[in-house]
Amino acid sequence: MTVASQVKQTLATLKGSQATLRIYSEQIRNNESAAVFHDALDKTRDIVNDLEKRAQALELQEPQYRGN
Amino acid sequence: MEEWIQVLIRTIILFIITFILVRLMGKRNIARLSPFPVVSYIVIAVLTALISINLINIAFGLVALGVWAILPIAMEYLEIKSKWFHDLVSGKETVLIKHGKIMEESLLQTRLTGEDLLRELRAKNAFSMADVEFAVMESTGEINVFMKSDKKPVTAHDLGIKTAPLAEPQTVVLDGNILNEPLASLGLNKEWLGIELEKMGVSLDNVFLAQVDSFGDLYVDLFDDAIILPQPQVKELLYANFEKIHADLTTYSMETQNEQAKEMYSRNAEKVKQLLEKLKPYLLR
Repeated sequence: MTVASQVKQTLATLKGSQATLRIYSEQIRNNESAAVFHDALDKTRDIVNDLEKRAQALELQEPQYRGN
Repeated sequence: MEEWIQVLIRTIILFIITFILVRLMGKRNIARLSPFPVVSYIVIAVLTALISINLINIAFGLVALGVWAILPIAMEYLEIKSKWFHDLVSGKETVLIKHGKIMEESLLQTRLTGEDLLRELRAKNAFSMADVEFAVMESTGEINVFMKSDKKPVTAHDLGIKTAPLAEPQTVVLDGNILNEPLASLGLNKEWLGIELEKMGVSLDNVFLAQVDSFGDLYVDLFDDAIILPQPQVKELLYANFEKIHADLTTYSMETQNEQAKEMYSRNAEKVKQLLEKLKPYLLR
């Protein structure tokens, strides 16, 4: 597996977890807990942005493996 | 009119009147009443029985019944308004054990023998007198015990563990019937329930009880106990996913040659670590 595809896999896991967090942040019935989940959601958004940028940069460096 | 018909009609009417009177007198547990209200309940019961078999004149009987019902209600109102009146009627609690020492005068005053006290303490799981700091007899006769601080059950607070605040679970299915009111109060509907049950692969008529917890997860108990349902593990899985992401990011930060990327990976790994710390009480406990 190339570095780019590894990073993409992590990105996919992260996005999946983000979706689960989003469901919980909507479903949860306690305001305090809901705030914690919303906060966590914001944090993951930053990480997703950083990783997406890195994945793009890696694809440019390894054009022969693009799309893998 | 024949006498038995009179008794029949009078008994039915009295049944309804007494039912209403007792409901008006409140819903407090009869085992937890202080002695006096119990007396008024007994008088009402006896009066009703005597009137219904015509041992007392019905008019006199109803007057007595009314007084015995209204006076306790009036007294309860006065007790709420006046502390002095409350202490007079319901009595005050008596301290039986103070600073770990039995107050013998209090025992005498409450006419409690040593055996009685020990039995009551054992009922509260205090088998050793050395563990008891304070005990009090309430005005209802019940004895409550305050244990020494090192003998109290450990709480999450004692251990310094942060726990997630939880709301009470709501029952949404009972005996195979959907309860619409709790479901609506959660902001959910029948369609949502249908989808969740379908995900578990059970049909509604097989569900005896379903509850939605604070996180919005569904717990289901089936009529058919042979079917083993997978318990929801979404929260544990989510935590494990974040742990994996943390491990991945740490690995990348070590592997990459690019200084900028190294910095970015380790910064985000640190962020995920903080996230894990914060979510742990919510996802794992």
